Amino acid sequence: MVETLYSLMGGQGPVLYLAAIVLSILAIILPLLIGVAFAVYFDRKVWAAVQMRRGPNVVGPWGLLQSFADGLKLFLKETIIPSGSNKVIFILAPMITFTLALISWAVIPFESRMALADLNVGILYILAISSLGVYGIIMSGWASNSRYAFLGGLRSAAQMVSYEVSIGFVLVCVLMKVGSLNMTDIVEAQQGYIWNWHFIPFLPVFVIFFISALAETNRPPFDLPEAEAELVAGYQVEYSSMAFALFFLGEYANILLMSIVMALLFFGGWYAPLPGLEFIPGTIWLLLKMVFFFWCFAMVKAFVPRYRYDQLMRLGWKVFLPLSLFLVVFYAGILVAFDLLPTSG
Amino acid sequence: MSVIVQAAKSLILKEFLAAFWLTTKYFFRPKVTINYPYEKGPLSPRFRGEHALRRYPNGEERCIACKLCEAICPAQAITIEAEPRDDGSRRTTRYDIDMTKCIYCGFCQEACPVDAIVEGPNFEFAAETREELMYDKNKLLANGERWEREIAANIAADAPYR
Amino acid sequence: MPTLKIDGKDITVEAGKTVLQACEEAGISVPRFCYHERLSIAGNCRMCLVEMERSPKPIASCAMPAGEGMVIHTNTETVKKAREGVMEFLLINHPLDCPICDQGGECDLQDQAVSFGRSRNRYDENKRAVTDKNMGPLIDTTMTRCIHCMRCVRFSSELAGVDDMGALYRGENSQIVTYLDGLLDSEMSGNVIDLCPVGALTSKPYSFTARSWELTHHTSIDVMDAVGSNISVDVRGNTVMRINPVINDDVNEEWISDKTRFAYDGLTKRRLDRPYIKKKGKFVEASWSDAFVAIQRHLRGLKGSEIAAIVGDQADMESMKALKDLLAKRRSNRVECRQDSAAHDAANRAGYIMNSMIKGLDEADYVLLVGANIRCDAPVINTRILKNVKGRGLSVGVIGDTSELNFRVEDHGNDPSIITKLSNGRHAISKKLKAAKKPMIIVGDAALCRSDGAAILAELSRLAEQYCNTEDWNGFNVLHTAASRVGGLDLGLTTEGGVESILVDAEAGDLKAVILLGADEIDTSRLAKTFTVYLGTHGDAGVSRANVILPAAAYTEKSGTYANTEGRLQRTERAVPPLGDAREDWAILRALSDKLNVTLPYNNLSELRASIDFAGDLGVFTKAEWGDFGKSGDIDSTSFVGPDGRFYQSNPIARASETMAECVAVRCDTQQEATGTNG
Repeated sequence: MVETLYSLMGGQGPVLYLAAIVLSILAIILPLLIGVAFAVYFDRKVWAAVQMRRGPNVVGPWGLLQSFADGLKLFLKETIIPSGSNKVIFILAPMITFTLALISWAVIPFESRMALADLNVGILYILAISSLGVYGIIMSGWASNSRYAFLGGLRSAAQMVSYEVSIGFVLVCVLMKVGSLNMTDIVEAQQGYIWNWHFIPFLPVFVIFFISALAETNRPPFDLPEAEAELVAGYQVEYSSMAFALFFLGEYANILLMSIVMALLFFGGWYAPLPGLEFIPGTIWLLLKMVFFFWCFAMVKAFVPRYRYDQLMRLGWKVFLPLSLFLVVFYAGILVAFDLLPTSG
Repeated sequence: MSVIVQAAKSLILKEFLAAFWLTTKYFFRPKVTINYPYEKGPLSPRFRGEHALRRYPNGEERCIACKLCEAICPAQAITIEAEPRDDGSRRTTRYDIDMTKCIYCGFCQEACPVDAIVEGPNFEFAAETREELMYDKNKLLANGERWEREIAANIAADAPYR
Repeated sequence: MPTLKIDGKDITVEAGKTVLQACEEAGISVPRFCYHERLSIAGNCRMCLVEMERSPKPIASCAMPAGEGMVIHTNTETVKKAREGVMEFLLINHPLDCPICDQGGECDLQDQAVSFGRSRNRYDENKRAVTDKNMGPLIDTTMTRCIHCMRCVRFSSELAGVDDMGALYRGENSQIVTYLDGLLDSEMSGNVIDLCPVGALTSKPYSFTARSWELTHHTSIDVMDAVGSNISVDVRGNTVMRINPVINDDVNEEWISDKTRFAYDGLTKRRLDRPYIKKKGKFVEASWSDAFVAIQRHLRGLKGSEIAAIVGDQADMESMKALKDLLAKRRSNRVECRQDSAAHDAANRAGYIMNSMIKGLDEADYVLLVGANIRCDAPVINTRILKNVKGRGLSVGVIGDTSELNFRVEDHGNDPSIITKLSNGRHAISKKLKAAKKPMIIVGDAALCRSDGAAILAELSRLAEQYCNTEDWNGFNVLHTAASRVGGLDLGLTTEGGVESILVDAEAGDLKAVILLGADEIDTSRLAKTFTVYLGTHGDAGVSRANVILPAAAYTEKSGTYANTEGRLQRTERAVPPLGDAREDWAILRALSDKLNVTLPYNNLSELRASIDFAGDLGVFTKAEWGDFGKSGDIDSTSFVGPDGRFYQSNPIARASETMAECVAVRCDTQQEATGTNG
């Protein structure tokens, strides 16, 4: 992507190269942030629809600009830094969360080879970055010097660690079949139509991944870190204004990331589902799939009650971990037995 | 046996999918809420909203300062002071309602012998300061002028049941 | 002593009592409108109908004397029906204007209509309307509400002594009027408001300002005159809304004078609400501490003989005691309570109280008024005498002015010197006194506020000894005009030479400082040379020459003890807080004593009261030991001065009251009209 841009710009000199990099980053981040704004709006609209309400409908046509109004409001609010807090860490935490939520997007391909950094360990990179995300939360929980925030931070850390294990294992199943950690390779392994896509052979893996993704992004029913009924808002309780907005943006950027990762891993990325639909560009297909998963996320939020903390832990360690281990063995067995292992490149 | 069935059910996410399906159906149902500031729901003639002091058609204040509303008010939100007007009639010199104390029970309009104090159909009187909710006589009379048509219609509509 | 059976209960009552009174004694209440304990029986409302066996019709219990063997039923169907019928008739013409009626909430008709009436009216003809009458600035009339019980008519002729009211026309057209449409010219006129069972006669100053259920009642004592009428101060918030009588058969029965009832608006007008210091001829607002500092500076180094104090007419005993103690600490005992220079002798209590009691008028068979302008000075006592004159033919002799007396008297001229001729037993008065079993001599201020007052006092004491006093009857009575006077005399606040000598010394410059405790009835221009501290409630005469003004509490704002003209100790109740920065008098004096480094030895009211040697218990009359008093001397034959016509404005509160001013104005008008050629 950067190279393409660089060559388009003439392909001369390091300054131009740098410019190409910055432009590429902006090309991803700006639509992403705007997308996040609409995601919030979409999220609210979905809950409203399920509850037979109207949802935001005042700001802009059909309320489309609601998120921008909220953002502006947050931006104009006073940033309150609690006097008892560890101020440096307190301010650093939302920045870290936000940054980490954005840098994962570097390896996401929007079309074949069209990623900011087409790493050949892309999926590993995503796992690593999302593991780092816990730092932002635990830092905010600790630095706020508040019981609610602290409990929220602890819960979040435990939860993310727990579910990352099973995410890691279930991904192994897919990677064994693909034989590459490169995102584009994974998508291209699903070349064809809907029946070629990974979610058919890997349905149990997809289900575990979907649920773990909910837990990973602190979405209901796993939103214990910010359970408003008990922890008020968990680790965000002391945050206001832009600091809070950064958390919020980061959270939704992560959800979108998880949605797009699911589309890439299991639903054929940019490939059209049925023959004859190729006239629609692959990127649009990818985004449509992402929106579909985001819709699923929103729906889940609308109909599931929150887990109890011990139930959450039980599910992670006693169900998903054994299950995913079993699945690894199972798929490895199948791949070996039927000699379907990809030839090592 | 039931344990296995239960485990199988959770493994295939039976309830999860059922709930998903149910909510999806609701997703497409028509909305029950109204588009509030632009659309409004129906109000009963007995609706107890913002207070108003009414006048007779000839412009004379109805209120005769009998203080029955003040006496009955369970929240003690009403304060009245009275003295003879120049023409010798009994009138209020002060009629205050603390709308922040008021519980909108409607006892005042029940107690009023001349239908002077009424709770009108207006419920949109939110204010930005508490002071604006300390209604005085002028404010209440202005309300009465503003809402007289609706109030008179409501009283007429409810009259057969009184 | 007839015995009768009421609702199956046997009861024996005194002969002459009515069936209604018998019912009361049996504990059965009978509704009534026209009947009133203290008025004659009229029997025209018919509300008190009860059933008597062997009587074809229900009987009016208020007018039927209780007879031996009567069998009375008050709760039968007939009685219920009779009451409902009467109620319905009464309500036919009574307007449904309870919401705008001041009587609403305390109305006999309202209460009894709920208790005994039917719930619906069957009358759908036009109601009667009656034009309202003008009864002066005190009484508001809404005659349409009148149910013709005639209580007001009976009161005005039987107790107020003015035959001004009556009924005109007949049947449905009958109206209560004041004859010739004049005002009810009595100083007791306000009592018809209480008597009126409906809202036909209501209080004009109080009109529409409060409802009965908003008021808190504080039982207190009136200080407008020396009778010490028991009153109820009705308060809403921090304002006195009205004053009503409280029944005390020993003192005021259930009447109070118009001044007592209506002067309350003076409590908030022309009040001193903060301390002032006079600087360069002008009063400047000051703080309490500044005022105290100013006093301290002027009193520093003064000898005891250079300080004096004069007590006004409305001071309570606690503040007088505090003032006396304060001056005693500064080695002065020059505190004078007789600001009108009356010749009272503080040494002998029997010499300055009403030894026969006010109640004694109901037993007395001869009353001799000596220089007592009783109608002006003590209207309640006047009413008591009037009641006895009209009711049982009490004979009253008068030496003095009789122009205002509204009952039949034997006028013995206005020559004080005849008093000296009474002891020989040949004068008509002496014969009367001798013949009477319980004679009363009532001597008033007109006789005592003279240079020969002491001689008159001495002469009358000898007369009382000669004719009146027996084992259980003391016929010597002094009628005071100031509420504080007996209390002051009890505390011994008299000085050699009285107020006059204080004023003379002040003019001569021998007195350097004078404290006025609400003293407004003296010629303050004579205090120009001294440093004057005025401690009081109103910006009246007393402040004109004051150098420092300390605002004090009025009688409704403090708990104070007063001894009335009988010497009966009674206490006011604090109904409202003192106005503005004002404080209770004794507390001011206590604080001032701190500043002057002569701290008074009490920190609260109960400690202060414990230090006072009260002459008796609260509320009861205590007999005084008889002894010599007065000073023999020549009695001048100058006439006793008559009433000065200042009844409505005799004290600072009344002078500040607009209602009282209106009363004066309206009386001036009628007098001018009466002498003109109109009509």
